[in-house]
Amino acid sequence: MPEFATLASPYSMPAALHGDVDLTDPEEQTQTRALNQFLAGVELKAFKIAQAALRHEDDALDAVQDAMLQLARAYSGRPPEEWKPLFYRILENRIRDMQRRRTVRGRIMAWLPLRGEDDDEDFDPVAQAPSLEPQPVRRLELDEAVGALEQALQRLPPRQQQAFLLRTLEGLDVAETARAMGCSEGSVKTHYFRAVQALRAQLGEFCL
Amino acid sequence: MSRADESLTQFERDARVVLDESVRRIDGCTRSRLNQARHAALAATGTRRRAWWGSFTLMPAAGAVAAALLVAVVLWHREPAGTPPVALGAPHAAAVEDMDLLTDNDSIDLIEGWDGSFYEWAAAQSDAGAESNS
Repeated sequence: MPEFATLASPYSMPAALHGDVDLTDPEEQTQTRALNQFLAGVELKAFKIAQAALRHEDDALDAVQDAMLQLARAYSGRPPEEWKPLFYRILENRIRDMQRRRTVRGRIMAWLPLRGEDDDEDFDPVAQAPSLEPQPVRRLELDEAVGALEQALQRLPPRQQQAFLLRTLEGLDVAETARAMGCSEGSVKTHYFRAVQALRAQLGEFCL
Repeated sequence: MSRADESLTQFERDARVVLDESVRRIDGCTRSRLNQARHAALAATGTRRRAWWGSFTLMPAAGAVAAALLVAVVLWHREPAGTPPVALGAPHAAAVEDMDLLTDNDSIDLIEGWDGSFYEWAAAQSDAGAESNS
């Protein structure tokens, strides 16, 4: 009697390896999808907020990545409406840690011999060169406005900067901003009001 | 325009437009790195859930092993009723004898009043007697 070759049943396929996201549970699948959607929605704005605070692209990326990991590990089981203030609270703590570490590193480096200009990051003339594409007037106006606002934001005290960005860029309300900043709603209003006053004094009206 | 936007001043609305524009201009490389970071975070969520679930499913097996070990330990240490005490071997008996000597007050007196020269002389006499007999 000839033996027939049998194909393995699709149900006998190995289970997901350790570390893989198990998508067999519909509830977990829904939660993972919701978390993915949430993180995708905040990651760019969070990066801009971290970049404004840290003034360093790689540090800002690290801070956002750490905040994402911590939210996913520790708070993914919380209701999704709590994720945004929690995420920005974690990000704020991470930014503060990095700023503190940078201050300590700066004090240590002050005792070391000065570095030469060779140690600076490589200058890429192609990347730095202005684009040759013709820019519409609107784009030029926006370019100027973006540059001016980013510079003005960097001159703000950290808490004012944070309150302004969370309210204006991320669109959090006063209560959510207070939870994200770990302070009272009154403090948020004060920081935000002062930030707007300072920015207006520096920039005038945008007239966009 | 949303209700929240209506409460904003013109300056705040313009600032929001400018900030949105600055977000829109984030380059592809940075977007890609943020995308990777997001997927790493999602994978970490799966790992945590799997670890918790894995420990839960292994719990009955671990409980059975622990119970079996407990029973084995109890049976090992328990002396069966009516078993006669085990006789001590020669080394154990010697050790008990030494303990008796040490705790005996007379033996301590003997040690304190030790006359070494007398016992050496007695031993020499007995050796000499044995040689003369042979």
